[in-house]
Amino acid sequence: MDAGLLQQMLLGALLGLSVYLPLRCGQLSLASPGFYAIGGTIAALLSTRLPALGGASATYPISSVLLEMGLAAALTGAIAAAIGSVVLRLRGIYLAIATIALVEILRVITLNLAITGGALGIFGIPQPFNGPEGYAFFTAALLALVCWLCDRLERTRPGLAMAAIRDDELAAASQGIDTAQIKLLAFVLSAVVAGITGVVAAHFLNSWNAKLGNFDASITTLAFVVLGGSRTWLGPVLGGLLLTALPEVLRPVGDLRLIVFGLVILLGPLLFPQGLISPERLQSLGRLWPGPKRLGRQAP
Amino acid sequence: MTAPLLALDGLSCRFGGLVAVGQVSFAVQPGEIFGLLGPNGAGKTTLFNLISGITPPSGGSVHWRGSTITGLPSHRIARLGIARTFQNLRLFGSLSCLENVLVGLHKRSRQPLIPALLGNGLFRRRQAQLEEEALALLRLLDLEPWAKQRAASLAYGDRRRLEIARALATGPELLLLDEPAAGLNPREKQELSALIRSIREQFNLSVLIIEHHVPLMMELCDRLAVLNFGERIALGTPEQVRRDPAVIEAYLGTSR
Repeated sequence: MDAGLLQQMLLGALLGLSVYLPLRCGQLSLASPGFYAIGGTIAALLSTRLPALGGASATYPISSVLLEMGLAAALTGAIAAAIGSVVLRLRGIYLAIATIALVEILRVITLNLAITGGALGIFGIPQPFNGPEGYAFFTAALLALVCWLCDRLERTRPGLAMAAIRDDELAAASQGIDTAQIKLLAFVLSAVVAGITGVVAAHFLNSWNAKLGNFDASITTLAFVVLGGSRTWLGPVLGGLLLTALPEVLRPVGDLRLIVFGLVILLGPLLFPQGLISPERLQSLGRLWPGPKRLGRQAP
Repeated sequence: MTAPLLALDGLSCRFGGLVAVGQVSFAVQPGEIFGLLGPNGAGKTTLFNLISGITPPSGGSVHWRGSTITGLPSHRIARLGIARTFQNLRLFGSLSCLENVLVGLHKRSRQPLIPALLGNGLFRRRQAQLEEEALALLRLLDLEPWAKQRAASLAYGDRRRLEIARALATGPELLLLDEPAAGLNPREKQELSALIRSIREQFNLSVLIIEHHVPLMMELCDRLAVLNFGERIALGTPEQVRRDPAVIEAYLGTSR
């Protein structure tokens, strides 16, 4: 497989996880592309404007990329904490609308600021790797780390609280769960994942502009989770990988690919309303598998 | 007399022009089973919502062990030791019965971050301990065989008991039961009465119960309050309430 496509798929999986985290506690937030854009812009600005990070050398140091990721995580986390405590009072579709507005505001700001290069964006972002293979390795490691964290989250107290809030927020609060705090935690984690993904994407894409975090991206990333499933982290990862690959895989069929892509997005939720992956499906798969204990939480 | 566990003082709730609860006062003593009776729409469930912090009151105050808890958010009230069930069942439908009860243990299930991240022996032992606690509650309510089943797939009576198990998991000193006998068959109703008594003994708690089934309430409760159109029209032992003319009027009407 083409390493460039693989890299895009891995980025798609990371964005899927970012949308998944709030959705797992029932919060339909479409803010991920906004935080992705913040991360990308931070990476683009720092690596092109700050010579101290080593932008002039032939290969940009990985340590600088990690530093950018740290900064992006801190900034997106802080912004999400500030915004989240206000917008998370909204429910359902109103939260979705508010987060779409957030993405649009960020896009318009990026479009109009001189420092972010206006409509053209920022070019010549230095490369830490010589080819897409290096990026794919790096991103795969990052994805593995985020998956591991999501897995631990799901198996521990906050994960159970998130599931309870998704099922019935009022009843969850009546069990002593600080629902506002748990929802904010999910929102902040989601923003941090999107932010660090943006950093990697900015280097990989070599240029960064306002179009990369727009409303279309919100809907596409939501489709990752809707197709893959929002009950366990494996769902959005699979959805992100599949739906990022699909347009490329379908390139031979020409213009028909948009129709096929649309059909997949339409048929997926119709045939699998819970998404392709649900804990129950994993469990029944596990029963077929005679080998060691599977991923599902419940022991038989 | 000892200080009351829960005291309502002139508690009111208005929705626009409608007075759902008007100036209701009573106190629940430690260890007491206190019943709330009243015709449909009398404001019983609204009163529960006021106590458990789901609806903010328009006036009056709620006191818990002598200090005011009026207007606290519901998760804070739950952590103080007031647990409740819901009239129209609000279980976590996609979670298993065991997980539903584990959610109830939320207050006590905090684990240190590093072991939780690693999932090491320390974490697993603590987790097993919590699950054993949850299983014990399921066993108490005859739900153990369904521990791994999704809550939404249970029969109606089992779901009612699962709500009680989940409420008990929060470690309450006062249990608010909102129509726990609704939809149960006569045999289940009989068992429920015994169950509520044994829970009181075993967990050393007080119960505030809403129920329409008058014979059950007369037999079960130490004291009763009767609400009608949001106002408390009677208060006393079952025998006192049974003879109260205001109660007879509310339920049967007046003879002209």
